[in-house]
Amino acid sequence: MDSMMQPDAMTFRNVSAGYKQRKVLDNVSFSVKEGEFVSLIGPNGCGKSTLLKTAAALLKPLSGKVELFGQDVQHIKPALRASLLGVVPQKIESPMAFTVDQIVMNGRISSMGRWGTPSSVDHDLVERSMIYTDVLDLRERFFTELSGGEQQRVALAMVLAQDPKIIMLDESISHLDINHRQEVLQILMNLNREKQMTILLVSHDLTLSAGISDRFLLMEAGSLVKAGTPVEVLEPEVLSRVYNCELHVQQDPYTGYLQVTGAIDSLRRRQKLNRSVHVIAGGGSGIELYRRLLIEGYDVTTGVLNRLDSDAEAARALNIPAVLEQPFSPVGSDAIAQALKMVADADAVILSQVPFGSGNLVNLTLAEAALNSGKPVFLADGIATRDYTDGKAALAFSTRLMQIGAKAWHSMSELMTQLQLKQNR
Amino acid sequence: MKPIKRSAVCADNSFTTQSRSRAALRMLLFFVALMALLALSMLLGPSGIGIPDMESPSGSAILSLRFSRLLMGMMTGAALSASGVVFQALLRNPLAEPYVLGVSGGAGLGATLTILAGTGVLASFSLPVVAFLSAVVTLMMVYGIASQGTSGQPSVYSLILSGVIVSSICSSIIMFLVSTASVEGMHNVIWWMLGSLQPVSAGQQLLSAALLFGALAGIWLLSPRLNALALGREMAHYQGLHADLVIVIGLLFATLLAAIAVSLSGMIGFVGLIVPHVMRAIFGPDHRKLVPLAALGGGVFLVVCDAVARTLLAPVEIPVGVVTALAGGPFFLIILQRRMKQAWIA
Repeated sequence: MDSMMQPDAMTFRNVSAGYKQRKVLDNVSFSVKEGEFVSLIGPNGCGKSTLLKTAAALLKPLSGKVELFGQDVQHIKPALRASLLGVVPQKIESPMAFTVDQIVMNGRISSMGRWGTPSSVDHDLVERSMIYTDVLDLRERFFTELSGGEQQRVALAMVLAQDPKIIMLDESISHLDINHRQEVLQILMNLNREKQMTILLVSHDLTLSAGISDRFLLMEAGSLVKAGTPVEVLEPEVLSRVYNCELHVQQDPYTGYLQVTGAIDSLRRRQKLNRSVHVIAGGGSGIELYRRLLIEGYDVTTGVLNRLDSDAEAARALNIPAVLEQPFSPVGSDAIAQALKMVADADAVILSQVPFGSGNLVNLTLAEAALNSGKPVFLADGIATRDYTDGKAALAFSTRLMQIGAKAWHSMSELMTQLQLKQNR
Repeated sequence: MKPIKRSAVCADNSFTTQSRSRAALRMLLFFVALMALLALSMLLGPSGIGIPDMESPSGSAILSLRFSRLLMGMMTGAALSASGVVFQALLRNPLAEPYVLGVSGGAGLGATLTILAGTGVLASFSLPVVAFLSAVVTLMMVYGIASQGTSGQPSVYSLILSGVIVSSICSSIIMFLVSTASVEGMHNVIWWMLGSLQPVSAGQQLLSAALLFGALAGIWLLSPRLNALALGREMAHYQGLHADLVIVIGLLFATLLAAIAVSLSGMIGFVGLIVPHVMRAIFGPDHRKLVPLAALGGGVFLVVCDAVARTLLAPVEIPVGVVTALAGGPFFLIILQRRMKQAWIA
């Protein structure tokens, strides 16, 4: 399809949006051409739903503007907006026992006259939408009694009855089982092909989306980080960083379809690893590291931590051996001696983003000991911002450690890759 | 996509026709029953059912008194029931009704102040107006309290919670006012609070009737939008409604209805909660039908309850609110047991 010649159906111009105290979208700009099939992807909480709400004028942008077919969406009359843009939410819930017929008729609500009496045009559109989504034989049933897949098709029928030019789906198909998901996607593809309907699909299934989308928009933490064809956006390095886990992208040699995989590889490795990592943490900075290292299959030890520290609690809950010091006390020499034994048994030492004060500064000697015995040591970067010791002693110490071979780490996925490299060598 | 099976479509259509004629029959039976119940209420007296002697002045006086009580009952019942329908639809909650949200309590407080402040023609006119204004103020308070700390829209639970709290504050203030009032004022207020369909002045009846028809017509105009709002404010917005505007207008009309009911007949509970549920169970949740049917049903229900209230222990009159709860409760439970599936799935 030559979408380049088409006009813009939806345009975001430097849009920032969010809720009272919290900015969710940060200066997002993109446009979608009429007739395009676009998938919006990104990890949970990156602002995809907020983007849809802003596009549908449910949220007013804090700055910037959203245009539908060249008009500012904030100034389009609601009834006209509904004829331009339909939204299929994650799930619709009807507290009262409406029949499928009545639910789908809601799609015509803004076009019907004052008395809400449907015209023959309204009836035709409702009928056609129900045929299209194959829910005609459910029309007398109560919506609440239907299965999740049926409800989702009814919701789609309702939005189709609006006869919109653009349809946005907010993870509406994620929780459907595979046959219903395929069916709904097939319907969307037909609409896109036959009616030139513009489709913006929020999706978690990258593989499935890659097969049907003209273009991908990748979001991370409220910003649009990449836009382009599936091949352009689905780069393993970018995806692994954004989704914070290791992902592989393969192209099927016969169909050309892209396939994104991840979890299985890590699971397989988990059983084979026989490596141990010592983590220097504290104040909750270690929890994510513990979790991730355990998932990857490492044996984990940690310390020295103060009793009652949230990392100490986490270590206990996760069954991680830990050297503990009395609550709110400086780390003593006995504890350090025990921890040094642990470091001696470990294959690598990782320093979390733990803040340093005079009480736990001595923990850095553990890293030094590891380096001296030739073990890899990884320090979380940005230690200067977490250094509360007199005279920035921790910063000085860590600079010295870097000079004798410690590596800095920034993101979890990067750290895991480095660990793996060291291990394979 | 599967091809459409012609036969399936045909079968489907005949199914539709069948269920439509069943619905029409149900509606017809309902109207016949309503008429019969109204006639019965007119004829029911302390000595049983019978036509009073129209020739004698006392006979026609009795009939005319019963008729004016019937009008009072129709108006109050319709107002309470329609108000309940709207609150339940807008808040998407089966427990919502004017009492739960504190609206009736606020109207009651305003009415109490008016009753205690003065008597005469002016009071009977100002009663509905003051009741409405204080109900609106109460609703705004409830809404304001519930919205604290949220970004705009309060949750239904916080609305109902703050409604219950504001409601009990209102009734405490009423109690306080009553306890410090003169004997006559106390008598007036307590008698009024128990709830009674004793006819009010003709002027107040006319004013209330005008407001009632206005509010009912407004709600009926909103009714297709109430259907869309049942799927939530967000979905209604996507479908091209001024969702927030519809909610505000709907709440105002429902508050006006509750205030009319309270100013006419005092505090009569239960009607606004159960009649909407029963009507929804019988006729389905489509508000275009539900609003007028619930208004009619609520009116007739209250008229029948009043007929029972004034005859059961005659010449002593039982407060009609007692009858609505005692008679309505079990009936409500039976209907819900049988047909909850078609009314409300929460």
